[in-house]
Formats: sequence, structure tokens, C-alpha cells
Amino acid sequence: MAGAPAERRLYFEDVQTNVPLETPGMTLTETHATLFGSLTLTPSEPGAIPDLIPLCMSSGLGWRVPQPPLVVLAFMGFEWRFLKPTRVGDTIRSVSTTVAKRSMKEGGVVIEERSILNQRDEVVQNGRLTLLVAKRPSS
Amino acid sequence: MSGEPVVYFEDIQLGEQYTSPGRTVTEADLVIFAGLSGDYNVLHTDAEHMKASLFGERIAHGLLGLSIQQGLLDRVVPGQAVGPLAAVKWKFKGPIKIGDTIHVEARVSAKKDGEQPRVGLITLERRVVNQRGEVVQEGETDHLVGRRPA
Repeated sequence: MAGAPAERRLYFEDVQTNVPLETPGMTLTETHATLFGSLTLTPSEPGAIPDLIPLCMSSGLGWRVPQPPLVVLAFMGFEWRFLKPTRVGDTIRSVSTTVAKRSMKEGGVVIEERSILNQRDEVVQNGRLTLLVAKRPSS
Repeated sequence: MSGEPVVYFEDIQLGEQYTSPGRTVTEADLVIFAGLSGDYNVLHTDAEHMKASLFGERIAHGLLGLSIQQGLLDRVVPGQAVGPLAAVKWKFKGPIKIGDTIHVEARVSAKKDGEQPRVGLITLERRVVNQRGEVVQEGETDHLVGRRPA
């Protein structure tokens, strides 16, 4: 965009495969469960973290890895497994690895494997996400 | 939930269908979800940038749509039928924009034995449909449901 401040970003061409990226941790609190519950009308028992919260948090944590942000055009789909429950007070982090990339006419498809771990290094959720990523603009 | 009868694996019929109420997705939903998840991608937060995009305006986080539909379907599926999630396969087929009204159509597409003898696995096929009848998200969710005690 003309006039926009220069910001370093990662495009499809820059994505490296088979390099794991680990996010910082995030302690999940009663507040997360309450906010999520009021937003989605999903009730949860005291002390429990709704199943979808770790997945949702991993999308925000994913921006905090030591590399510039990826220019994601669309989230196309995912397959996910819920392996262990998460409780209030648990600290999660996420580890992602690009396992495949495929160039398309408009952008490119990136397939990412992601695991969410807790403070005991147990994998609580994991799966595979498909993202549509922008190609580097010519010029 | 007190007063609500417990639903066991045996009570859920293959092919059973559910339709949720609708919900209008608002700007506030996007702002709260961005704050909660930490996903401030321009797709969801920069109205000016998005004017020039394929979508023409901000769109809801895909996972916000997934989370909202989970809450909507919970309101019509009896008892604990939508027990703990075991797995999800999901496709984001189109954008959910601010002001769109979505509802969920679901069907019990499979019933299987779980890994433990006291628990069964049910699969729900789900479609998230907007006010124009367009399917914006769709997929399958697997749930663990307790069997009726012998």
C-alpha cells in the first residue's frame, strides 16, 4: 500500500518448511472461561476450560513467534484432536511446523501442523491447519 | 444442568437432526474475540485495510464462527449429547461479515464404540448457514458420550 509504513512481513515465498516455531506461554484463567462463555454462550463447570479455548488462544499466540507476521489471506480449514482436558491455571503454548506448501494462482496454500502443550509438556490438542497466504507483491 | 434429563449414547439416534436458533454476529463479537485470543490480524481489525481486500470489509475470525456455532448448537442438542469434543474436521467456505446472521444445521452422521467401554463416540455433521442460505462453514465434530449404566 502506497504511503503505508514499511513493515516486515512474511509472504508465501518466505515460508520455510519443517522448522518448528514455539510461542510464549499463556496461563488460562477463570476470566478466559467466563469471557469465552459469555461470548459464545458455552457454559463450563468451575475450574474447567472450554475445549475450544486452547485452539482459539493458539491463533493469537501464533503471532508472537520470533519472526515477522505471515500475510494470511484466509483460514481455509483444519483437522483437530482434543487429547486432554485443560483446567484453570494451566499454562499452554503452541508449537507449529509448516509441513507443506503449494503455489496457487492467487497466493499459496500452507499446511501447518500445530500442537498445544501444557506446563507438563503434555500435548493437550493437536492437528493440521490449512491457510491461504499472499505471494510477495511484484515490484 | 439440574432438571434436564441425562442423555446417554443409546438415546441418540443415527440421522437425528438439529437446527439452532440464529445469531447476528456483531462488531463487538469481533473485538471481544480479538482481545480474548490475541489474534489482531488485519482481516478482523483494520476496516480501512479491508476495504481494498477481496472481502471489502472486516470479517469474523474463522474460529469465532466455530465458537459461536458451538454455543448455538448446544442450545438445541439435548442433555450432554454434545459432550467433550474428541475431534473436529472443519472447512471455512466463506466469510462471516459484521451484521450477518448465522445458524447451525446438524445431523448425527455416525455412532461408534469409544476407546473405553463405558463411552461411545458420536459424529455430528454441521453446516453454518447465513441469512442468504449460504454455507459459510461446515464440518464434522466427534463427541464422547457416556453409555447408559447397566
